[in-house]
Order: sequence, then structure tokens, then C-alpha cells
Amino acid sequence: MIHRKQYNTLKIGIILILLLLFGIHTALSQVPMTTSEADALKEKVKALSRTTKTISSDFVQYKHLDFLSNDIESKGKLVFKTPDKIRWEYVSPFAYVVIFKDESLYINDNGNKSSMDMGSNAIFKQLNQLITASIKGNLFEASEFKATYLKIKEKSEVHFEPTDPQFREFIKSFQIIFNDTGEVQEVKMIEPSEDYTQIVFDNRTTNQTISDAVFDQ
Amino acid sequence: MRFLISSLLWATLISCTSYPKKKGFTPTSPTADHSANPYFSDQTKDYVYKANIKAFNRSFGGIFIVKKVGANHHRIVFTTELGNKIFDFTFKEDLFEVNHVAKELNRKPLLKILKNDFRVLVTETALMEKSFTGNETILNQARVGKQKHFYFNNKVGLQKIIKVKNEKGKVEFIFSEISDDFAKHIQILHQNLDLDITLKAI
Repeated sequence: MIHRKQYNTLKIGIILILLLLFGIHTALSQVPMTTSEADALKEKVKALSRTTKTISSDFVQYKHLDFLSNDIESKGKLVFKTPDKIRWEYVSPFAYVVIFKDESLYINDNGNKSSMDMGSNAIFKQLNQLITASIKGNLFEASEFKATYLKIKEKSEVHFEPTDPQFREFIKSFQIIFNDTGEVQEVKMIEPSEDYTQIVFDNRTTNQTISDAVFDQ
Repeated sequence: MRFLISSLLWATLISCTSYPKKKGFTPTSPTADHSANPYFSDQTKDYVYKANIKAFNRSFGGIFIVKKVGANHHRIVFTTELGNKIFDFTFKEDLFEVNHVAKELNRKPLLKILKNDFRVLVTETALMEKSFTGNETILNQARVGKQKHFYFNNKVGLQKIIKVKNEKGKVEFIFSEISDDFAKHIQILHQNLDLDITLKAI
């Protein structure tokens, strides 16, 4: 017969072992890629990018602030057309559209329209390049980032850390998850405070004809 | 000349008239020590608003977040719709801390205005000095910091807070679409400054 004290010690031991196993499992589920694996991923994504002329996708955005009880969730639609036209539209819980085209940024905030010349703003220009590159998954060549390649089962995760000190002030790390076909599935922007914005893409269709009128404000 | 003197005298008298009297309120006995603002007092709730800010002939939007994180302790964060943080402030007792502010907004006079405005939003109880009544409304005179504020309460609850200086309204905080101590629509309107903030709960 096990004494009560011994039973408690045993229980704690089992919990610790389970935690340890779970920890090891978590650590194992995200492992660094070898150079050849990283090169293969880059090649797969680049090849896909070369043949991708248009993308349309739904997305869910989660804004995580450490002190909040729940992440702030918003839903929307993304439309992309080569070389650099983007329509980023929130449909719930508010209506807001931002269009990137011809070096400018056009905003329609529930009927209030405004625009901004991105050419005059280096940070916006960089942000636009970042968004375009991350939608197409083509960030690998950007010298502004130091990339780390990781494997999670059949998916790949790449962490990009900005090298520009000005950029690092508001983004600590930019993490992209690719599915097995090399498509971007999830983007996470982590701030220096560890708060983050996570965007999960769904219902992605590529290379359908998209009219330029979609990018009118 | 006599007309000029009497006009000046009249103007001086009007400007010296107390704010409640100007608005047709008459003194009454206070029913409590404090005037209460319950709209950001629930620690279990995340208060999230779509914001529209009109400032200096420009208009821009974002997400305005208020969270009570402890007794007399709030965080206020403003982000773009895409999630980039514009500012992040902590209000704890009398302390005001800037956790983050975008370079473009990092100006002392602007931060002072935002600090004063938001302190009114998160101050749950302000020490009451006087009470007035009129138009089915109880008007409580209270202090937030050193500034005189008037709290307009009716059957529904707190409708409006007005910051008053020299017996003139300077900043108006208007609460509407109220239910269960939650104001779904809030406006902060500045009388002497081109700055208006509108918040709609999402």
C-alpha cells in the first residue's frame, strides 16, 4: 500500500515526466533546417512566386497584447496582382480598405478616403516591400533581414530579423509559415515588447483573372 | 463712452458667472463624496474601439484599446488597423508612463493633451466639490488632477464630462449608446484645439 506522502511524490513525478516529454516533443517539433533543406525551400518558394500572377485569399488577423484577456480578432480579404498591387480589406468587425499601388497608399476608412505617397516615406516603402515579399514568400534575398530556417512537421517556418535599427524599433521579428507547396500560410510580426500581430490565410486562389478596377479606391 | 463701460461690465459679469449657472443649473446638496465614471472599470473586460481622430485638418483611424489591469491602473493602446502600435500608455494612480510612442507623435505638448484627456476616461472616482440640478440632470463638480470637471448624470447614467477653465468648457467627453456600464460610443471634443476623437466599440 502506498503511503499518502509517497503517492503525492509519485503524482508530482508523473506530472514532471509528462511536462518534460511534452517539452521535448515541442522542441523536437520545431528543428533547424540543414543548408540544403533551406536552399530547397527557397527554390520551391521562388519557383512558385515566378508563376504566381495573382492571389486572392481570406485572412484572420489576431492582435495579441500581453495585458488583454483575448486577442483582438479581425477578418478580411487580400487581393494581390503582380508586380506590386495589393488590396488589403477588413470586413469585420469594421470596414477598412488599404490599397498599395504605384508607390502610393490609398485608404478607405468606412467611406473616409485618404492617400499617401509612399515614395517620400522610407518606412512605408519598406513596409510595402515587406508585405509584397511576404505574400509572395520572396523575402529570402532581402539583405535587410537575417533569416533562420525551421522545420515543423511538413511545414516550414522562417524567422526574419530586421538588420536596420530604425526598423527594429517596431518589428523584432517577422515569422512566416509555408505549407508543403511553398505557399504562405501564416505571418506573425513580433514587436520588441513581444506583443504580436498574427495573420492566418485561408481559401487562397491563385492566377485567376483580377481586374485593375479591384485596386481603385 | 457710458455705453462702452456698461458693455464691458456686462461682458465681465457674464464671463465670471459660474459654468453651472450659465447652463441653467441650480445648487443642490451632494448625494455622494465622489463622482463616478464606470465606463472602464471592469477588470474582466477588454475595451476595444474603432477610433477616428480628426486633428489639424487631417483624419486618421485606428484601434483604441483600454484595459483595467488593477485598482486605479489602466493601459491605453492605440494601433493602426494593420496592428502597428502608435502609442501605449500606462495610468497608475497619479503616474503616467509612455511605454511606446511613434516618433511622429513624440511631442511633449501632444503627449500632455493625450495624458489629460485619457486620464479623465480612466478616472473612476473624482472627488466631488459641489452638486447642481436642472433639466432632469445632476451636475457634479469634481477635480481630475487639478482641473475642474463637471459630470452630467441622468437616469441612464453618466452622459457627459466637461473640463472647465475660467468657467468655460474646454474639453467635452460625450458618452452614448450606454448599457450595463458600457459606453459603445464616445466622443472627445476640444473647444480651443483642432482635435476630436470618436470611438465606436467593436
